[in-house]
Amino acid sequence: MKTKQPGQTPEFLSTNLKENLETLSLLLNDPSDLTTKVFQVGGSAYTSAIVSLEGLSDQLLIKEQIIQPIQHNPEQFAASMEDVRKVLHEIENRMISLQITNRTRRWDEVIPVILSGDTILMLEGTDEVLLIKSRKWPGRSIEEPQTEALVRGPRVGFTESIYTNISLLRRHIREPNLTIDPHTIGRRSNQSLAVVYIKGLTNPELIEEVNRRLKSLDLDYAPESGTVEQWIEDSFLSPFPQILNTERPDKVTSALLQGKVAILLDGTPFVLLLPFTFVSLLHSPEDYYERWTIGSLIRLLRLVAIGITLFLPALYIAILSFHPGMIPFKLVFSIAAAREGVPFPAVIEALLMEVTLELLREAGIRLPKPIGQTIGIVGGLVIGEAAVQAGIVSPIMVIIVALTAISSFAIPSYSAGISFRMLRFSIMIAASFLGLYGIVMTFIMICIHLMRLHSFGVPYLSPVAPSIQHDWKDMFIRVPVTWLTRRPLFMKPQDTHRAKKR
Amino acid sequence: MTHKPLSSQAIGRKEIVYTVSNMVIGLGILTLPNTIAKNTQFSDGWMSIILGGMIALAFAWAIGVLASRFPGQNYHAMASMILSRKAAHVLTLLISFYLLLFVSYQVRGVSTITRLYLFDNTPEEIIGLIYLLVLIYAVAGPSIALLRLNLIFFPIVVTIMLLIVLLNLGSLNVHYLLPVFKTDWRNIAASSKDTVFSYLGLEIMLFYNIYVVKKGKLPGSILRGLMIPICIYFVVFMFVIGVFGPMVVSNTLYPLAELAKEVEVPGGVFERFEFFFFVIWLMTLFSTNAMAFDVALLALESVFP
Repeated sequence: MKTKQPGQTPEFLSTNLKENLETLSLLLNDPSDLTTKVFQVGGSAYTSAIVSLEGLSDQLLIKEQIIQPIQHNPEQFAASMEDVRKVLHEIENRMISLQITNRTRRWDEVIPVILSGDTILMLEGTDEVLLIKSRKWPGRSIEEPQTEALVRGPRVGFTESIYTNISLLRRHIREPNLTIDPHTIGRRSNQSLAVVYIKGLTNPELIEEVNRRLKSLDLDYAPESGTVEQWIEDSFLSPFPQILNTERPDKVTSALLQGKVAILLDGTPFVLLLPFTFVSLLHSPEDYYERWTIGSLIRLLRLVAIGITLFLPALYIAILSFHPGMIPFKLVFSIAAAREGVPFPAVIEALLMEVTLELLREAGIRLPKPIGQTIGIVGGLVIGEAAVQAGIVSPIMVIIVALTAISSFAIPSYSAGISFRMLRFSIMIAASFLGLYGIVMTFIMICIHLMRLHSFGVPYLSPVAPSIQHDWKDMFIRVPVTWLTRRPLFMKPQDTHRAKKR
Repeated sequence: MTHKPLSSQAIGRKEIVYTVSNMVIGLGILTLPNTIAKNTQFSDGWMSIILGGMIALAFAWAIGVLASRFPGQNYHAMASMILSRKAAHVLTLLISFYLLLFVSYQVRGVSTITRLYLFDNTPEEIIGLIYLLVLIYAVAGPSIALLRLNLIFFPIVVTIMLLIVLLNLGSLNVHYLLPVFKTDWRNIAASSKDTVFSYLGLEIMLFYNIYVVKKGKLPGSILRGLMIPICIYFVVFMFVIGVFGPMVVSNTLYPLAELAKEVEVPGGVFERFEFFFFVIWLMTLFSTNAMAFDVALLALESVFP
């Protein structure tokens, strides 16, 4: 712990209470939210002081459980009057009903405790203080996650408090092997971070690698788990996310039981799940909650959606600019008739509309919710209609843009959706130069890139390449749950069976 | 409790089969029916395909057995163990040279055909350059990525072949295939000389042997990998003859492309299927080239470490 204070910093507390309080105030740079209450210990002549930060600690609790019992202590300290240590001991054992985390005489142990909302109790005449747990951080209650709404599934989402989040996981996995490795990150923020996995199931190599990368973390403050994600991901140049984030405890639970590792960070409801593979882009918890036919068909639908998101505008450009003979001539005629009067080539038309769409989407996120929906309607309908009437774009283009937009929303992971949107533009540009040839060359390049990409040592395209036949049962289609007797093997879990062999 | 390593550089049976198949099926299949039909009558060319395939299978078996005796070693190491270090240098350099020529020939072939079927105005040089740049990107990374690329591309290619064949079932004319056994055996033998060359590409397994872990499976996998192209060649040849007749085939440079042209997609989504076919075809050509290029580099690397 580095407290960067000017001047001389005493290492240990002194026996003088007043001096201690002054030092503390100095160490914390005289904060206005520091509450100090000096009072006399009931039945003795000793003065004691309670110090805490106002907003972070439960003041009512402090008053009722610490101050009142000590102050109103009816019994006399008989023999122990002389020995201050014994008074402290009495207080610790008999009067305070709150959890006492530690006893210390070092300032560098006291400071972080105060800063995280706990209370310290000092006593005149001793250099030892009690660290009492009293933190009550402002937070919201458990709500349904906004970004990952499901039709069917638990209506529970993570909150900003890491303790709530861990308890949500513990509630689902009640077994001692659920392991939580604590880390503290941030030079100045000292946030808690937890690596959660199931011992004896998750591959130890994976856990080791995660912990190793987390140790290399060196930053001031991680405002969101996204910061951690970017520090520890495999390739920062790749457009694809290599770590999944989610707000849903059920998603994390099932991932843990598959042998994945979760990283929880205090201050954000987004939990990181790793390793992440390409096929998990298609997966949503709902696939398992619905019956298998529905789950499988929806996954195939998402695959189609990815295809449309990536290639549809590019195909439009390629076919119109290079290969009009590819589609039926009646369709060519109707497209040509619709494009009558459009002054731009297909690529400009497509880029115009796609950029407009991205703008609308971005604006829709920023605006307050009721207005956001209006923007969607205004943008989608009015601008599209007006652009067609003004002769800037063709109606077919509007259809294509709308289709790609809808498809990109059908991809369950938001960040993965963004990466496909980015790639879409590069494919469009390739198509405008080289037509279908450009599209297929870009596709090949994306494939090669995906082949090389790893997420924490796991090949990104597994179980397709390298091929692990067993895991295909839960890839593009999901077989009935009774067939899923073994965990996915591509993460090489230690315990492969999750159900009895049939 | 023991655990397996998370990522491995090993390739299994499926990878070997797909790699060999994808490597063998390249540019050759486009022109092969034409070359065979020139020397044979009616549908008798199938015998050349099978005969050439047999010869290739013998070589495949030899390569498989040889490679499985030196597990985890590449051609250079094998040659220096069997012959001498200097001889190994020479042989490896020759293979590397041959593969580089193969790559340049194919790049040129790709640009010609792409230009012919996809573009009107774009110059061949540009097409070839783009292709070469993407190739360089491909070989710049680890070879295992290229081997795994086959796992995605090969099923797509086989699907498209099946589609072409199935959608042409209607225009198949059995009379074109008959009569059989009319060709002189000398002509059959002569044209199987051409077919043998269309099975080239197996030799890359001598280098990719370093990734093979289960050496016992190697010969069998290579043989399987070769059986797939033999079947595909056979089916394609029969269909080309059956749809167009021997006369037309012997005068068409790219019969398979013409076969793709004949396809009428039900529902009329695509007017001309051959665009689609070519785009997919580019994938298999690409992975063939990328692997050949990669092996050429691996060979050079083993000589000049």
